[in-house]
Amino acid sequence: MSSSPVSTSSAASRVPVEERLFSLVLALLATESGLTKNEILSTVQGYRQKFRAGGDNANLERQFERDKDDIRDLGVPLETIDSPGDVGNNQTLRYRIPRGAYELPADIRFSSDETTLLNLAAMVWREGSLSGESRRALLKLRSLGVAADEPTLGYAPRVRLRDAAFEPLSSALEKHLIVRFPYLKPGEDHAREREVIPLALVQYQGRWHLSAEEVEGEGARKTYLLRRIVGPVEFGKAAPARPGDHAAAALAGLDEVWERGVAEVDVVCDSDAATRLSNRRGTERLAPETDGREARLRLHYVDLEILADELAGFGPEVLVVSPHELRDAVIARLERTVRDHG
Amino acid sequence: MAERPQPLQARDKLAFLLSLVPWLMDHDGAKVSEAAEHFGMTPQQIREAVELIAVSGVPGETDAYQHGDLFDINWDAFEERDEIVITNLVAIDDSPRFSAREAAALIAGLQYLSALPENADRGAIASLMSKLSRGASAAPSQVGVEGAATAGGIDTVAPDPLAPTLALIRESVERGVQLELDYQNSQGQRERRRVDPLRVESIDTDWYLRGWCHLREAVRTFRLDRISNAIITEQPIEHRASDSDVRLPDVLFEPSPDDLEVTIEVVPSAMPLLTDYIPDGATTVEHDGRIRTTLRVSHYHGLKRLIASMPGVATVVAPPSARAAVEAWARAGVARYR
Repeated sequence: MSSSPVSTSSAASRVPVEERLFSLVLALLATESGLTKNEILSTVQGYRQKFRAGGDNANLERQFERDKDDIRDLGVPLETIDSPGDVGNNQTLRYRIPRGAYELPADIRFSSDETTLLNLAAMVWREGSLSGESRRALLKLRSLGVAADEPTLGYAPRVRLRDAAFEPLSSALEKHLIVRFPYLKPGEDHAREREVIPLALVQYQGRWHLSAEEVEGEGARKTYLLRRIVGPVEFGKAAPARPGDHAAAALAGLDEVWERGVAEVDVVCDSDAATRLSNRRGTERLAPETDGREARLRLHYVDLEILADELAGFGPEVLVVSPHELRDAVIARLERTVRDHG
Repeated sequence: MAERPQPLQARDKLAFLLSLVPWLMDHDGAKVSEAAEHFGMTPQQIREAVELIAVSGVPGETDAYQHGDLFDINWDAFEERDEIVITNLVAIDDSPRFSAREAAALIAGLQYLSALPENADRGAIASLMSKLSRGASAAPSQVGVEGAATAGGIDTVAPDPLAPTLALIRESVERGVQLELDYQNSQGQRERRRVDPLRVESIDTDWYLRGWCHLREAVRTFRLDRISNAIITEQPIEHRASDSDVRLPDVLFEPSPDDLEVTIEVVPSAMPLLTDYIPDGATTVEHDGRIRTTLRVSHYHGLKRLIASMPGVATVVAPPSARAAVEAWARAGVARYR
């Protein structure tokens, strides 16, 4: 068998999805001037078998629309060109994939050290949509032929994506859409609807935050904890462009809040609380009390309510000294737990 | 990669086809097994992809996918010797760019890893991130993870106190030598342990060492923030991750036959926080807007801390001894303020 058979129209419905998508990419890469939709549907493998010349191809057209989205999601720059003198006409619109925008620039190559690091970076995402994105990124990386210089068996790093709001928000960021969601602020009885322009999703100290600009009022920049988004995220209209490195700005902003947030607690020496709290970034050990059974620690925090939850978990191993809001919050939590279990 | 090859979705398959072609161009005559190893796929997945590539192409001048418009391979070499030789190339010259989201996933992953001691070279990480950005077809989406590479005012941010321990453990894993360390359990008891370090694991900001504990004669998970006075010995490790009696499961909290089962009620939104402790196949029933389910814990010391850190969110329903343990813990906490 030296040449290969092309699927015949009798096998029409059996052209696998990936074969149709692959054929579409090849056809659009090969064309300089672009192909019209009609040309694509009537000639490209996977479409042509279902194409009815002069007939109704509405289903096939919808298929093509979905395929275009899938291909673009993979980072393939599928562009449209209006035909001169016929701008806006769908029938004469031409599709193509410009080679320069498709191919990885020649100066972007990765050493084996870098490949090792990227393999590890991809391992960080083992749940949610980012695990699929990482998997596909690694396939493209391997395309370049560089092997990692050491196995990554010694590490299993992982960042969690367990907030239900993460997926819709990341998709809104990608598509530049305004979003609405119900947000429950601590101390408030009811969630309030927020309408915002999403800017970045960042994980800070193990928790995911959304940095966003309010649509109402002055357009203030706010940070929302994903855990407090208590209902579905709804997509609104297209969001205005907001250029800038919002992820870095959001992390820097959280760092400032963390610097300012200071609590002092007494911990029982050698308790789990003493060990774990002392080993947190930024914790300072103040002079131990005279009897040597307790030590005073100064901690930094971003969110008082979250710190109160954590400290309540340590039960009698921790006594909050200041601020008093934190002290009250911890007492209220412990009392609640007593009531719920009494 | 360590993980087993998985079945692929159509989008994965397309990404794979577009990636495989340039690699095959650079590796003329590669064996199916080499390609499988390089891409982390099964030989069968490689064969299917090559067969698909070999019958694909462009409509061409005639719109009829004529012979010269198609990829072709040396079928004899492929079928008889499992070698892949492309004899006709179509349309593809080079590797594809990353998508904005793919680049963003890797960049955020790198930010997270920049907290690791061996990645202290921030210049190298920054240059890698910029390459990913330039190699993406659109600006990477705005996803970030806290790590050393992210903070603008790096010098003002306090160093991570666990970094020295982490560096020590990494060195011992790499050299394959035993560690000695003090480990304090959740009840505050401290023991000197000798450990064959096998893997460093993390979940968000929590870091763990998986290793063979010579005291317990079993694989154990050690929280880094409960380790102190660790030293590297010159003793080679006696147990390896590849040994048949050593299992390193993907989940951090592994059920054991000695576990205690407790019934809890939890608000639905907090369920994801507890999934590690809920055994597979546990029944969950909705009850007054709360979910009733089973939790597995190795002892009540862990349970009382977990439940007390989720006040009003999770409540122990049964058995009475578990409720009493939680209540006593919280009551002792309240007593500190009286």
